[in-house]
Amino acid sequence: MAKRGKVALTICSTAFKTLGHAQASALGKKDLPIAVMPHPFGLRKREEVRAIAAQCADDIVNLVTKARAKT
Amino acid sequence: MSAAATIEALDDLDAINKLYRERRWSDGLPIVPPTQERVERMLKGTKRKRDEVIAVLPPGFGEATVERIAINAVMAGCDPAYLPVLIAANDAVAQAQFNIQGIEATTNPAAVWLVLNGPIVQQLEVNATFNCLGQGSWANATMGRAMRLILQNIGGALPGDMDRATQGQPAKYTFCCGENEAQSPWEPLHVERGFAHDASTVTVVGAEGTLNMNTHSKDAAEMLRVFAECMAHPASNEYCHGGEPWLVIAPEHADILKAGGLSKRDVKQRLWELSKMPASHLSVKEILRAQASRTDEYGEIKADTLLAISRKPDDIWFIVAGGPGTHTTYVPCFGNSRAVTREIL
Repeated sequence: MAKRGKVALTICSTAFKTLGHAQASALGKKDLPIAVMPHPFGLRKREEVRAIAAQCADDIVNLVTKARAKT
Repeated sequence: MSAAATIEALDDLDAINKLYRERRWSDGLPIVPPTQERVERMLKGTKRKRDEVIAVLPPGFGEATVERIAINAVMAGCDPAYLPVLIAANDAVAQAQFNIQGIEATTNPAAVWLVLNGPIVQQLEVNATFNCLGQGSWANATMGRAMRLILQNIGGALPGDMDRATQGQPAKYTFCCGENEAQSPWEPLHVERGFAHDASTVTVVGAEGTLNMNTHSKDAAEMLRVFAECMAHPASNEYCHGGEPWLVIAPEHADILKAGGLSKRDVKQRLWELSKMPASHLSVKEILRAQASRTDEYGEIKADTLLAISRKPDDIWFIVAGGPGTHTTYVPCFGNSRAVTREIL
């Protein structure tokens, strides 16, 4: 998508952040925006997960806005 | 495709291994330095052009050219005659249904298992008998190791970087064997998968581990019940996704099953039926994972839903291998992967 000029974004947890950046770089999209959420979710309470989701939604908006400004 | 890079190093084994260690170009064991002379010698094992791209390997999307495969084969200690096996194996792992992206980047310990069939097993002295999954065979050890080095050095699957395995497993160093076709009472794996009997093939499997199943049973029905109960374990990707479990059946066990009048298809059908497990055996989270993957099969999965280990009996695969003894191996698989077989040319 990013190579087609569309604003693209990936979401991953902290455990996969390194992988996400490395794969984006390997595919020639070093600056691909990645929204990162804390890992793991298993022991978190529902309210914590909601808060993480809300924060992630904000991060996504910010990352997409910045990426769009660059295009 | 550009040729592989050449670096200069001291003509000293310790110094070269220090360099490979620092740059994380090894699997943690000393390597055979891939000098130009050794790589040229390795390349004589194939007529393919050195710059031919055999596969593009995730997660780093490196191009596995014949030359790059040869370099890693040298590092692993392979003979030139092994190179065609590795070329075919690279083509196999790159097929979409194998899901090498998932296998290399997952937290699961999945390893790539190479299973060889046909005349090449004898030609290369691939061990298919005593200790065929263990140490001691040059072909088994070095071809399996070369596959790992290729996935790491060309595919970019470095532990802790793009290889996200939580713990991994010993088979990630090397995992390769042949089928003991001479002692199998059934048609060999490659014939079952549509190849000519005299063809040589390599089959790649996304293997999660190995579990020894020692039973002295002499009764086919009882033996299959014991195997099935070993295969049914609640912490299994196969029950979550509908997988592709494998077995390495010992020749003695195979003879008992055959004497019980069972064809390969019969064995698969019975294992599939006997290994069904109530969803309640899984954790709540695993039931949710199964629900996400298998709604098309089961609709709503309830506590009393009997989950099968694979979507259909024919998704259970096995080879006959090993020496005398009562030990059959269950090879649970990654779940989201299907084995691929390629002819070795």
